[in-house]
Order: sequence, then C-alpha cells, then structure tokens
Amino acid sequence: MRASDFAGLVPECCSEVLGAMYFVTVLGWTALEKMPEALPGGDAVVAFGLQFAGDISGRFGVCLGQLTARSLAANFLGVDEPEISSREVAEVVGELANMLCGSAMSRVEGERKLILSHPEAVPLPADIEDIHIVQFDTDSGAITAWLVLEGNS
Amino acid sequence: MAFNILIVDDSPAMRRVVRRVVDISGVDVGTFLEAGNGLEALVVLRAEWVDLIMTDINMPAMDGEELLLEVRKDPALTTIPVLVVSTDSSEGRAKQMLSLGADGYISKPFLPATLSHEMYRLLGGAPNESF
Repeated sequence: MRASDFAGLVPECCSEVLGAMYFVTVLGWTALEKMPEALPGGDAVVAFGLQFAGDISGRFGVCLGQLTARSLAANFLGVDEPEISSREVAEVVGELANMLCGSAMSRVEGERKLILSHPEAVPLPADIEDIHIVQFDTDSGAITAWLVLEGNS
Repeated sequence: MAFNILIVDDSPAMRRVVRRVVDISGVDVGTFLEAGNGLEALVVLRAEWVDLIMTDINMPAMDGEELLLEVRKDPALTTIPVLVVSTDSSEGRAKQMLSLGADGYISKPFLPATLSHEMYRLLGGAPNESF
C-alpha cells in the first residue's frame, strides 16, 4: 500500500459519507500541494484531526469554514442552523473526520484491527513533506481533507 | 411493548443521530439510554433493563469489542441483542464481531433504513417502510 493509493480512496469515501450522513453533494475535488491559506470572506476555520493505526498508520484531518461547518452540523443533527451551538459544530466536524478516515481505512485490505483516536481540534498541518491534501467542492462549501502516513513502507 | 435502547458511542453527535433515526423508525421506545464508552455502558446495563445495545467499536476506556465480550460472559446480560455500528466497514472486522457474539453489524455511514431494518430484525416487528 502506497500513500497515494490510500489517498486515492478519500474522494470516493468523502462523497459517500457526505451524501449519506450530511446530505451534502460533492461537486468535484482537487488535489492540493499545500493547505489553503485563507477561506473566502475571511470565514473562520474549523479543523479536526485524529490518529489512525492498522495495516497503515498516520494522521488524518479535515478543515472547513465555520459557515460550511454549521450547515453540515444542521444537516447531520436534523435541526435548524440557529439552534446549533459551537460545541455541536465541533462534535459534528470531529465525527466527519472519524467517518472519513474510518471509511477509507476500511477499504484497505489487511489483517490488523483499525484503531482510530478520538477526533480533536488540531492546528492546520504546515511544512510537512509527505502530506496528501484534497479539497472538495460541495453544495455547502469547500471541505479540505489531509492525510499524513507515518512509519509505513 | 416499549423497548429500552442503549446507544454507546464516544461521539455525542453520533448518539444524537442514532437516536433520531430510531425515533423516526417508529420503534416504540420506552427509554433511550446513552454511554460514551464500554465502561459507562456496563454501569448502565447493571442498573437498567435494556432490550437492545447499539455500540460503536473505537472508543476510549473500553471499546466495543471489550464491551461485547463483557456482555456475553455475564449471565444477566448475555441475552441482550448487540448491534455494532462502526466506521470500520471491512468484512473481516464485521465477521470477527459477529463471531464474538454480536447480533448485527452496520458500518458508518449508514442509511436510516438500514439501521431501522436491523433494529426491527433484532427486536421483532415490521420496519417503517416510509424510509
């Protein structure tokens, strides 16, 4: 398993997870060489990540604008946006990272159990050489997913 | 007959989504019980009557696999159906959990209808076909 193979699974998983659980349509995706520096309109960034271990190990995360995050949270929880708290937005984005990572990892054939850490708010990854970044354009806004593999041959 | 359902997941958001799907499915729920990990679930199980356990696998303190093993070896709990709801969609993991005594396995993301059908299969009755 190469990092690029695993990273190649992420777009398909993202469409599936966002469609089934967040009622969001992925319109397209683009591989990026570095994390976006700013969001349109200066929207605040919500970023969550986790560590994963199994047949391959590493770190995975998502980042998106606050407005997109609130929209996703409302869809996921089935409530109106004004009713959503910041804590609920954080929980929903953390769960998005969890499901995306778990969905992609599960498609990697292997013998070892998949272990995912609890998603946490993380700073945006910077100055990492072997990072895979994919930005998804959705009908709720842009969502960026990143992946760093660690200690894998 | 109203059923008491225990939802075990370290994500409060996911517990809320599962609870909402159960509500929509039309299952007659007496009490929703929640736990953030296996240890918390065992405390609930030893204090409350539970008709169905729906549990995630990856959780801190005690994961879903350990919880399943604890439930199956406890004579007072062993007959409670356990439905695993996990991000791990690999066939091997599902087979393993079923071999350890789980009664069903659903991977996230899931469709509401899938969760509803599994609940009705384990609790008895006919699923709400409006999904």
